[in-house]
Amino acid sequence: MKPMSAANLYQQLVLDHYRHPRNRGELAGWTHAADGVNPLCGDALRIELRCADGRIVGMRFSGQACAITTATASMLSELVQGRGADDVATLHAPFGRLLNGDLGEDLSLGPLNAMRELHRHPSRRKCAELPWATLRAALAGTARVSTETA
Amino acid sequence: MSARPSDLPAPLDVARIRADFPLLARTVNGKPLVYFDNANTSQKPQAVIDAVDDFYRRHNANVSRAVHTLGEEATSAYEGTRDKLARFINAPSRDEIVFTSGTTQAINLVAYSYLLPRIQPGDEIVVTTMEHHANIVPWQIVCERSGAKLKVAPITEQGELIVENFVELLTPRVRLAGVVHVSNVLGTVNPVAELARAARKRGIPLLVDGSQALPHMPVDVRALGCDFYALTGHKMFGPTGTGALWARKELLRDMPPFFGGGEMIREVRFEGTTFADPPHRFEAGTPNIAGFVGLGAAIDYMESIGRDRIAAAERDLLDYATAALKTVPGLRIFGEAKHKAAVISFLIEDAHAHDLATLLDHEGIAVRSGHHCAHPLMRFYGVPATVRASLSFYNTREEVDRFVEAIGRVRKLLG
Repeated sequence: MKPMSAANLYQQLVLDHYRHPRNRGELAGWTHAADGVNPLCGDALRIELRCADGRIVGMRFSGQACAITTATASMLSELVQGRGADDVATLHAPFGRLLNGDLGEDLSLGPLNAMRELHRHPSRRKCAELPWATLRAALAGTARVSTETA
Repeated sequence: MSARPSDLPAPLDVARIRADFPLLARTVNGKPLVYFDNANTSQKPQAVIDAVDDFYRRHNANVSRAVHTLGEEATSAYEGTRDKLARFINAPSRDEIVFTSGTTQAINLVAYSYLLPRIQPGDEIVVTTMEHHANIVPWQIVCERSGAKLKVAPITEQGELIVENFVELLTPRVRLAGVVHVSNVLGTVNPVAELARAARKRGIPLLVDGSQALPHMPVDVRALGCDFYALTGHKMFGPTGTGALWARKELLRDMPPFFGGGEMIREVRFEGTTFADPPHRFEAGTPNIAGFVGLGAAIDYMESIGRDRIAAAERDLLDYATAALKTVPGLRIFGEAKHKAAVISFLIEDAHAHDLATLLDHEGIAVRSGHHCAHPLMRFYGVPATVRASLSFYNTREEVDRFVEAIGRVRKLLG
């Protein structure tokens, strides 16, 4: 098979999280949940959280979405274990700069640095924003969120 | 090679035609561009680019108001396109061609100027499931303001309009029916002449959205027998921001202006203004003059090739591409109408349309992914989005081969 050129966006790490998503499914006994949509493409994502003492002790996601959204949600589900809402907000800021192409790498984002390539694909940025918007809505107690109004 | 019946047009010299389109020579992501997004917008031949360039370099002036030489030249070039377009679609009169910014403005002109003043609560408007949002949303706005109802004629799984259901909806309450000539998602060519006959018998005006028809086939509004025909220039090799509404003279005559301003008046007094006759009544303000000069060049270009030959070349490409795509495991084509333009919407198993399109772009192949401004149609098929390859006569079988090979690689990558 001929390798894809400019395939950095769909690098192995991203494809691995897409093909084998971590924490996909429903979460029994969730305490926080939100449904997010990207009306531009119709993708929908649901995130369920179990929080204890203000910290995320479990996150699961479900829904139909593209590889970028799925991989971002999968990576995020591992990254936010044990963190509080403030931590998520603190992580979200550099992720935004990463998508803008204003940031080389941020160690706190771990595997999500793979999404840096999205600065070359502005039309796909919302795909990576959907899991963040849904997660933050869940933490804020907002049941529904759209990438077009977030 | 199979023999060609003599009544078929001579095949095109595609290499020569491609040389007319400078953009087709570029590379994308290090690969020669394969441009399969023609239903979104077409590329422009050098003749169109030159016409726009020449207008700004040598003839630029405002139209219909300056008596100096440049003003006369600009007016003559701009109005010349009206003559060309009238001939191109076989309109009975040049005065039935209202220039607009595109199909959307043309349909909105009918919505606000023709339909809104005469529609009553409880009246109905009929459209089909396969309409572009441009032929849905203006009618929804009219319904909202008037208390009228929008009725939708269904389609089959193959993507063909169920004509008898459309005709059944044409009740005495219907004030206007709208139908897309060629579906931008499915490629379906609708039997407009048959629909127009049914509408005419019941005294219902039929509006046809011709955006996707003009670039691909001969269009004759007299033979179609419709009442309004909306079209856009940028999909038929002309500049963006150009389009037109063709409407029967008697309909235009009774329509009040949509926009007020310069260009559309006969006499202005503070006590009251009298309006110009159609088409200028509907062309307030300075228009996209250079764009319409370019549209004139696009019409000349298409006529120099011949629309029968364009249609035949695209038919060949469609058959070739459809057969090749059907060999890809797990690939589903949306829209398999008997009469179809070279538009192929598809999905592959669980792969997402945007992932497919981004990965194809990496291979230099431009396709569109998404809902194609046809949410109701996506809902009909139960998918959020499709990938759409839309071909033009300047595309080649070799490009189709590259496309299908790339799909094979993408499929493995996402599988």
